[in-house]
Amino acid sequence: MQERDALLKKKVVPSVEVIPPERLKLLDEIIDKYAGSTQNLIPALKEAQELFGYLPMEVQRKLSIGMNIPAPHIYGVVTFYSFFTITPRGRHTIRLCLGTACYVKGSKEILENIIKDVGINVGETSEDGRFTLEAVRCLGACGLAPVMMIGEDTHGNIHPPKTISILDGYQ
Amino acid sequence: MVTLTVDGIKVSVKKGSSILEAAQVAGVRIPTLCHDKRLIPYGACRLCMVEVTSRGKTRTMPACFNPARDGMEVTSDSPALRSSRRVQLMLLLRSHPLLCPSCDAAGDCELQNLVFEYEVGDLPFARQSRYFHLDNDSSFIRFNMNLCIRCGMCVRICEEVQGQSEISFINRGMNMEVSTDFMRPLECEFCGQCADICPVGAIASKWLVGTGRRFELSHVTTTCSFCGLGCSLTLEEKDQQTVYVNSSPDSPNEGSLCVKGRYGWTYAYSGGRLATPLVKKNGVLTETTWEEALSAVASGFSKIKKDHGPQAIGALGSARMTNEEAFAFNRFVRTVLGTANLDHGASSYGALVDGLAPTLGYPASTNSIREIRNAKVILLVGADLTETHPIAKNEVIMASGRNKAKVIVIDSIKTKLSERDGVFIKTPFGHESAVVFSMLKHILDQEIVDKTAIASKIDGFEKFLESLKDYDPENVATLMGIAPELIHQAAEIYAKAPSAMILISEGSNRAMSNAENGRAAAALAVISGHVGKESCGVMVFGEKSNSQGALDMGLTPKHLPGFGLLEDEEARKKFESLWKTKLPSSAGMNSREILEGAESGAIKGIYLVGENPVDTYPDRVLTEKALNAAEFVVVQDMFFNSTAKMADVVLPACSALEKEGSFTSSERRIQRVRPSTKEKLGRSDLEIFNDLSILMGNASFAYDSPADVMTEISKSVEFYAGVSYDRLGLQGLMWPVKDSSDDGSLFLYGNGYPHGRVKLGPAPELNLPKQESNQFLLVPGITKFHSGSMSTWGKSLLEVCPEPMAQMCSSDMSALGLEDGDTIKVTNDLGDSMKLKVKWSRRPLEKQIVVPYHFPGSKLNKFVKWNEPLAEVKVEKA
Repeated sequence: MQERDALLKKKVVPSVEVIPPERLKLLDEIIDKYAGSTQNLIPALKEAQELFGYLPMEVQRKLSIGMNIPAPHIYGVVTFYSFFTITPRGRHTIRLCLGTACYVKGSKEILENIIKDVGINVGETSEDGRFTLEAVRCLGACGLAPVMMIGEDTHGNIHPPKTISILDGYQ
Repeated sequence: MVTLTVDGIKVSVKKGSSILEAAQVAGVRIPTLCHDKRLIPYGACRLCMVEVTSRGKTRTMPACFNPARDGMEVTSDSPALRSSRRVQLMLLLRSHPLLCPSCDAAGDCELQNLVFEYEVGDLPFARQSRYFHLDNDSSFIRFNMNLCIRCGMCVRICEEVQGQSEISFINRGMNMEVSTDFMRPLECEFCGQCADICPVGAIASKWLVGTGRRFELSHVTTTCSFCGLGCSLTLEEKDQQTVYVNSSPDSPNEGSLCVKGRYGWTYAYSGGRLATPLVKKNGVLTETTWEEALSAVASGFSKIKKDHGPQAIGALGSARMTNEEAFAFNRFVRTVLGTANLDHGASSYGALVDGLAPTLGYPASTNSIREIRNAKVILLVGADLTETHPIAKNEVIMASGRNKAKVIVIDSIKTKLSERDGVFIKTPFGHESAVVFSMLKHILDQEIVDKTAIASKIDGFEKFLESLKDYDPENVATLMGIAPELIHQAAEIYAKAPSAMILISEGSNRAMSNAENGRAAAALAVISGHVGKESCGVMVFGEKSNSQGALDMGLTPKHLPGFGLLEDEEARKKFESLWKTKLPSSAGMNSREILEGAESGAIKGIYLVGENPVDTYPDRVLTEKALNAAEFVVVQDMFFNSTAKMADVVLPACSALEKEGSFTSSERRIQRVRPSTKEKLGRSDLEIFNDLSILMGNASFAYDSPADVMTEISKSVEFYAGVSYDRLGLQGLMWPVKDSSDDGSLFLYGNGYPHGRVKLGPAPELNLPKQESNQFLLVPGITKFHSGSMSTWGKSLLEVCPEPMAQMCSSDMSALGLEDGDTIKVTNDLGDSMKLKVKWSRRPLEKQIVVPYHFPGSKLNKFVKWNEPLAEVKVEKA
């Protein structure tokens, strides 16, 4: 249990990707629309994420200045909702079930294999932009445990050492 | 008022008070982990649960946010409550590491104390460990979120009191922690309030990590030596060395401190401190003994007195001297040196002496700092409190946050407070008074005025009204390029409010313009009826720790202690009989005239006590010329600074951490200064004045101790009459203190004015500068991390603010192709130039650069002249 929690609690590394200023200008419209009330923060963040795909530091800073909401407050909201992400998304999203049934049947080893071979932890995206790894609590297919979804495809009854060969099918 | 019983004790409290506050009045302790009197009740820890019987029903409820009501019977302790509190503590301990033996907070930990008090033993459930990295990246403050109990006090004090919101809850859920966005290091005010308020060791001052247990440290209570707000400090010491500074929750400042107060004291430990006197021999300053140095000073001044007369000597004191030293200095200059030429701090007391005093009577703030939070409207006239007086800024934040007060900002730059709900009016630097006079014109036209006050209390009203004819809001607004509605709106908000305060801050950078600001503010307050009441009036915050005391003790060209004038025979007689010598019978030269006099040859000898005119006064070139031209210059200072380098004799003075005395804060509060156990370097100013006067043949001048001087002050200064050291406790005393049973008063003029009536002088002619120029305006700013040039000697404040950064707005920066951290070259008409790093800021408006003046190395005061506080400069990328 403790080991697993330790795996989940790695320090968040700030995204370094630079958004060109002309793209950042697109935020002005959202700021004009929502500035004036802190209650509008969540719709503003949602539209910003639709625009850029994720919410990096620059986007949050600009929203903070434009909407006059402290940046740490915005970051607190972004990190609370699993809908918001602060790292760019990969081409394929892996949703690995860490619910009770899957965990007992070995999804921890699947997670370790992904960490080892792809080099990403939960919530992270591989450097080549291929995968984003998410942990989920149940996919409603406990009979097929351990279960993992890649994009829209569901893979069940995974033999942990076979993890990488499944991923090989997604480039 | 509501009346209730707490544990059988009957108490009456104000309506709206919480049960917890009622219990505190009754003297009943209710345990809390998430409550502080500065914060809005939150109810997170559930330890303050009490049983309340009301209308025959008994219920359990948190005491901190349920209001006390009539007839409540409150029980604070019962077996059921003890068991409830014990379970709460067990739940907190479930994920709190039990490494108390190695924790720095042990002994100073609320959780530890309560676990002990409630005898919590084994937990009936499995412990859960959390793993967070230790965050040592920020200056001054260390985060160890493994210890956090999530009371939220740090986040709340940062938002509700500081108005900073630098930290927040992030990753909410099981792994919630307190940090900044993207867990970057702190870039805030570094007030250290989060570390101070943390009940456990989760946020701690780095200086206390590994230093020792808090209970091993000894404590000395003194008064802060930076700005004029007079916060009470508790120096915590180990092995005769200050290791940390905090403030008692029972002090006037309620335990709040700013970055300078909490971390700035390292200046006293600076390697630049002078320890031995220096005398110029063959053109070189050489170390010597005290005897030789003092006799050199005595013979030097005696010679000038004999050759050129006493009027050829000028003396400049400092508003950082204690009251006792300032009193003794006044006596020394006026009797032993025999000159009237005495001043301090670049005459930067205009708002008080030339503003409030002629109108209202006293050159002092009318009300107290803690009343600001209850005012409904706050008008800031050229007061960037975030940078100059952070603790007063907290009061404005509290007023506008929880009490929904309106904040009207009249300033030449955007300030942190102009973002609050209210009105922001942009004026040219130093012309804030024009807006205030036009607000007055508007409320007089609309007749939103206190008619009885005008009829019965004001002299010179007709002439004043006549002089306002140019100040039509439309006219002023057009000249300033703003909308007249802003002025109308501000005037109406201010005049209609049930309580409204005006705040002004003083400083060397405002020396030229503040007299008008003070006069305008006093007139506005009187005419709208906002004087002599709680949460009303005009507050003027001085730049230095004893700005008010220096005026009380008469460190100006025309005053004697107690605001008596040298020209006034009665006032002079009083001190002539007390000091048994003749006093000069006319006003002397002010600091500017002394320096100009030295340059032209009228002044031959200059005595500088704690003052560094070369680095901090306007017009560096003039000051340097003046000090070179003067025959004999004596500098008495803690540091070997630019002025000391030009002196003939340098006498090392000790710091405020090494001497005794008292400071009078900008709310007229007289508070004690006590020496720490630190080794004393140099001598106190008082000892030096004593020695010098004996050497110069005036033996009657012998003060045994600062307490001795205070006795003389209380005998000769009417409004200090009831002050003695044994009466100055943690709260101090606010003058006027008429006798030993008088406890002082929170606000002045409640029972009328000292001269009977208010005197309104006519408003000056409207004279606004043209804003057509294409050049940049250099605005001398103040940064919250420094105070004068003293703080730049301490390494702690240099860690967070190592160099002056020119602040510019984003449109100017992109026009010049600049980014944060780039270097710019600033050139004036005469070709003087300096190189500065540039930083984006919300503060400056277009075509302005704001540069803090504290850093001697930048020689910013080369660019400003005495009559031109602003300089037009050319800015280019270097």
